[in-house]
This record gives sequence, structure tokens and C-alpha cells, in this order.
Amino acid sequence: MSLVGPLLLATLLFSVGVYGLIARRNAVLVLISVELMLNAVNINLVAFQNLLFPTDVSASGHMFALFIIGVAAAEVGVGLAIVFNLFRNRASVDVDRVDAMRW
Amino acid sequence: MTEPSLLIQSAWLIPALPLASAAAIAAFGRRLPWHGAEIGIGAILTSLLIAIAIAWETFTTVDPAPYEAAYAWSPLGGGFVLELGMLIDGLTAMMFLLVTLVSSMVQIYSREYMHGEKRFTYYYAMLSLFTFSMLFLVIANNTLQAVVGWELVGLCSFLLIGFYWEDKSNQDAANKAFLTTKFGDVGLIVGVIVLSAGMFGLTDTPFNFLQTIDAAVAGELSTATIVLGMLLIFVGCISKSGQMPLHVWLPDAMAGPTPVSALIHAATMVTAGVFLLARLFPVLAQSATVMAVIAVVGVITLFFGGLLALVQDDIKKILAYSTISQLGYMVAAIGVGGYTASVFHLFTHGFFKALLFLGAGSLIHAVHSNNISDMGGLRRFMPHTFWTFTIGSLALAGFPLTAGFFSKDEILVAGDLWAVNGFATGTAVYWVGLAAAFVTTFYMARAWFLIFMGEHRGAGHADAHGHDAHDDDARTRTTRTTHDAHDDHADHGAHHADPHESGRQITVPLMILAVLSIAVGLIGSPFAQEKPNFESWTSTTVIAETTYPFLAEYAAAGTGIAAAAAEPSAKILHGPPTWHLDLLLIVLVVFSSAVALAWRFYGRGLPAQDPMMRMGGLTRVLVAKYGFDSFGYRFIVVPVRDRMSAWATRISNDVIDGAVAGIGTTTMRLARTTYTVVDQRIIDGGVNGAAFSAAWWSARLRRIQSGDVQRYAGALVAGVILLVLAFVAVR
Repeated sequence: MSLVGPLLLATLLFSVGVYGLIARRNAVLVLISVELMLNAVNINLVAFQNLLFPTDVSASGHMFALFIIGVAAAEVGVGLAIVFNLFRNRASVDVDRVDAMRW
Repeated sequence: MTEPSLLIQSAWLIPALPLASAAAIAAFGRRLPWHGAEIGIGAILTSLLIAIAIAWETFTTVDPAPYEAAYAWSPLGGGFVLELGMLIDGLTAMMFLLVTLVSSMVQIYSREYMHGEKRFTYYYAMLSLFTFSMLFLVIANNTLQAVVGWELVGLCSFLLIGFYWEDKSNQDAANKAFLTTKFGDVGLIVGVIVLSAGMFGLTDTPFNFLQTIDAAVAGELSTATIVLGMLLIFVGCISKSGQMPLHVWLPDAMAGPTPVSALIHAATMVTAGVFLLARLFPVLAQSATVMAVIAVVGVITLFFGGLLALVQDDIKKILAYSTISQLGYMVAAIGVGGYTASVFHLFTHGFFKALLFLGAGSLIHAVHSNNISDMGGLRRFMPHTFWTFTIGSLALAGFPLTAGFFSKDEILVAGDLWAVNGFATGTAVYWVGLAAAFVTTFYMARAWFLIFMGEHRGAGHADAHGHDAHDDDARTRTTRTTHDAHDDHADHGAHHADPHESGRQITVPLMILAVLSIAVGLIGSPFAQEKPNFESWTSTTVIAETTYPFLAEYAAAGTGIAAAAAEPSAKILHGPPTWHLDLLLIVLVVFSSAVALAWRFYGRGLPAQDPMMRMGGLTRVLVAKYGFDSFGYRFIVVPVRDRMSAWATRISNDVIDGAVAGIGTTTMRLARTTYTVVDQRIIDGGVNGAAFSAAWWSARLRRIQSGDVQRYAGALVAGVILLVLAFVAVR
């Protein structure tokens, strides 16, 4: 199996994630975009582990992917909590309007 | 040499006590019941006691070795040591006795004489300082220390002569005294340097008296050093000891209070010059030239100085000129090898001149006038002053058996012995000395008759109630400048209450001094043939063993008496005094003829016109004081004042002030430039610029922090892309 497919997929996902991160206004969608980017990286890790180092018993690529999934879960937990609080205070989750921490 | 006694070792207390008392009086004398007089009198009496004890010890010890002790200080490291020390021998002890005794008499006397005077405390502080200065000079074991004392004496005399400084004429007198003596001081200092330069290679302490004397006697000093050094030192003595032609300050110094005059004339000022000559006698005895110069100056002074007293009306002026004349005797005696005679005359003269001045002060105190033409008949009013003043006059005139007789005869005998050695100066001292003795007797008899005999002519101010003798001083000084000593008894004919005897504080010192004026002569008289006598007291081993080196040369060259060096007179000491009946006879004739002449003129009170004023040209010359004052005024004072001071002013104003102002302006300009450029622009600009640039940049940079999370994320992504591209490019 060639690396091209997974890498293309990962690139696509990552680009979509970057676009969503920069362009979406909804905080929940920004969080989802971050998830997309993290999972693009996961695809890369798993693909490289399987296709380039299939005999490596330590399977660090897989291990990393698992860690990233765990971290992503924690991140979403914290992120959603912030978003909830934001919504509770402002009745809006528009990140454009959350600019109190400026000069 | 035995260990000197504790007494001698503590001789430094003698000058130290008056110094301490001067400081104490200045510090808190004003608050004491006697306004400081008690400190001064107490200190000087203590000094006197020590001085008497030391005098007794040195007197009774036959041939004592001089005791020397000094603090050494070598400011330039090795090979050059300055000393602050003391040299105690018979000469020092004699001067200690004289100075402390006269000073204590003067201080006791001044309590009444200066009573109620403003600056009374200052006066006593000055008296103490004056006494200290002289004692410091006397105790000195080196010439440099002597110069310090010498200058201090000059300073104190300046301050005391100008004591009544409210009067311009008194200021002038003080300035005159100071500047005239200062002129001689230059000679003294240069002379001291010359001598020390000669000593420089020989010892570490080039200023030391004893070492200088030893070196000179041993012939280690070159003739040029001795002649030049001693002649220059003698210039100092000329000015300080009132020798012609620098005597001009001494009569004017009468502007000070009368007790100060007594101090100056008897103990603390004019004796300094003779003392220094006596101290350095073995040095100057090495050179016939030096001795001849000294003798000539002395002879001129003793005769012509005495003549000036003839035409004076002011009692203090008469005494001043007599001091000049007597100092001439002392200096002349030094010049003819009469070391003992000179020192002895210094000693006796101190007592009777102090007596005469204090007596004159008592008279002035009573009649409120300095002028003998205002006195007359005072023997009835002032019996104590009368008999003490009479004794003083007799001593001054050299009446047999008074102190002045013995000492003056010693000088004449010294002159005679010097003449035997073949020196014309000896003959001159003998005969001129006799002639001057006639003059002395005559003017003292004149003063005595006019003061005490006849009827009281009444004088003084109608409103005289206080102690305004200084007013009289000032008035007669003004009179003097008009060259007419006789115009001022007409303008105050108002009858004054009868004069009265002074109080005990004035008369008791007079009596003490009167007794001493007779008694002190005995220790140097033919009555004291055995040692100890005055000669053994004031001589030292050096003086006792030294001979005049030039006598042998003269004998070899055929001049003078052949083989004079083998004669006893070649020694400095003449041996114990002997009776000279021929001289006694001559002196008696001189004395009685002078008194008889004075009696003929003045015995019946003041003649309508003073015969002294009718001597034609001689009177004019004497009244003009040989023209020294007008000469000095025209050729020294006027050029200095009108030309030199103008130049000095110009130099001061233009050059020095200009330089100072230039430096000031430059500094100011520099400071201003530094301020505007360095401080304001560079330093402040730097600080402000840093602040402003920080503000400017922060105003722009803070916009980056927009608070927009997505913009941060975009920047992050852009950054990553840039980094990746850069990474790829570098690769």
C-alpha cells in the first residue's frame, strides 16, 4: 500500500482543520477543527508506523496516536467547558466577539 | 657632664606658661573678676619663680655645661633635621630672669594703669603673648626657632603699639614699627639661611646654635659664610634693637600704652637683637670685619641717638632715645669684644629702663600729659615715684655704685682693652662712650629738674577724669609731626587739680625695680671678684676658651700690638671686673659737670625758652631728627605709596584680577556649555529618547495583541509555513 493515499487524506483533513480554525466563528466548530487537525496528524503517525516500520515492535507511531487521542479528549473537555461558560455569560459562542484580552 | 637637674629640664615651662595664659585670657578672661589680669599675673609670677630658681642654679654652678633638649623633625628625611628645643645656659637664665621679672612688674602695674580701659582683657592677653614670644626666642636652641620667636615679638609689638588703634597716628606708628623691623627681618632670615647653608654639610641640624658656634670656632665655616651671615643677621639686630639708621620706629612706638613701652624697651623687644648677637658671639668673633661694622654702628647710635633726647619734651620720647643710645652701648660693646659687658648692660638696663618707663607712666597718669614742660615740682606730690625715678635716672646716667655705672664702665673698659689690641673702634667706644655719658646725664638731669623741681606748671585737661593718657600720646604725636615740641602747653592752661601719687600697684613695682636697679649691678661689679659672678654666669665653655683668631694674624702682619694673641685680652672674657680709679674719676667729673650744666639751665624751673631750643643749627638738626624721618618719608614712604602702590594696584587690578576674572569667566562659560550640550542634550536627550522611543514603539506594537484568537492562530500557521519554507530553502 502506498503512503500517498493516507498522506493526501491527512493533508486534506489538516487543511480543512486550519481553515476551520481560522475562519469559523462558532467556538464549537473551532474546537472541531482542532480535532480535525489532530486526527490528520494521527493518520500520518499510523500510516508511517504501518508502512515504513511494520516490524518495529515498539510501535511508537501507534502509541503517539493513542496519546494524541487521549490529549484531544482532555482538550475537548476543557475547551467545551470554556465554551459553555462563555455561552452562559454572553449568550453567544462567537469567537470574534471574545476579545476582552487585548490591549 | 652631670645630669641636669629636674629644674633645668623643666625650663620649657617658663615660655609655656605665658602662652597658656594668653590662650586662657583670650578664651574666658572677660568673665573673670579681674578681666583676665589674674591669669596673666599668676602665670608670669610662676614663670618668674622658675626663672629665679634656674638663675640661681646656673649662677651658683661654676662653669655649667649648657643643657640642650629638642624635639627633632626631619621633613625631608635623613640629613636635614629641624628642631624645636631649648638651650639653657647662663645667658638664657639671665634673659629668663630679666624678661619674666620686667614682665611681671609691668603686668602688676598695668592693672592699675590700664584700669577701666576698653580692651583690657585683650591687652593682658597680648602682654602674655608678647612675653611668651620673647621667652620662646630666648629658649631657642637653633636659629630657625629664634627667627620664629623674633617674628612673634615683632607681631606682638605691632599689636600693642597700635593698641589705641582708633587714632590714625597710632596705626601709623604701629605700621612704621612693623615695617621697619620687618625690613631688618629679611636680613636676619637671609643671614640665618647663609649660616645654615655653611653648616649644611657638617651636621644634620644646620640651624643648631651650639653646633654652629663649635663649627665656627673650629674654623669649619668659611670666612665668607661667617661675614655674610653675621652681617645679615646684624641687619636684623639693627632694626630690632633700634640701631641707626633703622631706629626710627622706636620713638614712634611710644604710641602704645606706657607699660608696653617699658616692656618693649626693657625686656621683650629691643633686647632681642643684642641677645642674638650675644648668643652668636663666638661666631662673629671670628671676623674682625663683622666686629668692626658692629662697633661702628653701635658707636654712631650711642652718641647720635643720645643727642636726639636733648630736644625732646615728651618724657617717653626722651626715654626712647635714651634706649636707642643705651642699645648703642650694648652693640658697640659686642663690637669691641665686650661680651660680658654688653650682656651685663643689657641686664642692668632692663631693670632701670623698665623702672624709668613705669615711673614715667606714673607721672603721665598723674598729670595727664607726656610733656615735661607740663610737669614740674612733682617731688612733693608723688614722693614714691620721685625717689624711684631718681634712682632710675642715676642708674641710666651711670652714677657710681648704681647698676648702670658698673655695666657702662665695663663697656668702656672693654673699649679700652680693645684699643690695646690695636683697634681704633676700641678707642672710639671709650671716648664717644664717655661723651655720650655726658649727654645722657645731661638730658636725664634736664628731665629730672623739669619734672620734679621748681613749681608745678599744671597741665592736662580740665575735664580729665579718667585714664586718658593715650589722648596725650596721640596729641604729642601730632605735635611731633609739626616739628615743634613746644607749641602745645599753651592751649590747655586750664588749671588742673593737684597731681596725686599713684596707687600701690604702680608704686610697689617701681620700688622693686628701684632696689634691683642698684642691687643687680653688684654681681658684675668689682665687689664680685670671686666666682660666681656675672661673667662666670653668662659665659660658656666655648666663650671662655675662644680667642680672636684674627689677632694672631694681625700680630704676624705687624698691625696692632705685636703678639697680641698672647695677651690676656685676646680672650673673650676679661676676667673679673676690677676697680678703674681713673675711669671712676672721669665718670664722676662727667656726671657732676653734666648735672651742674643742667642745674644752671633748668634748676629754677623751665626757662622762658629752653636752651636746647637755642642752639641754632644743631637744634634744627636734632628737632628734624637728622632728617631720617623726612628722608624715609620722601624716599621710601612716598615712592612706595605713590608709585609702587599704584603699580601694585594696577598689577593687582589688571593682571591678577584679570587672570582671576578670566579663569572665572572661562569656567562659567565651560560650565554653561557643559550644561546645555552634555547635560541637557546628550544625557537628558538619551534618557528622554529612551523613554520616548519605548512609548512610540509600544504604541505600535501593542496593536498585535488584538485579543482575536483566530488572528493569533493565523499568524501561528503563517509562521509555521514560513519556517517550513525557510527550512526547505536552507536545505
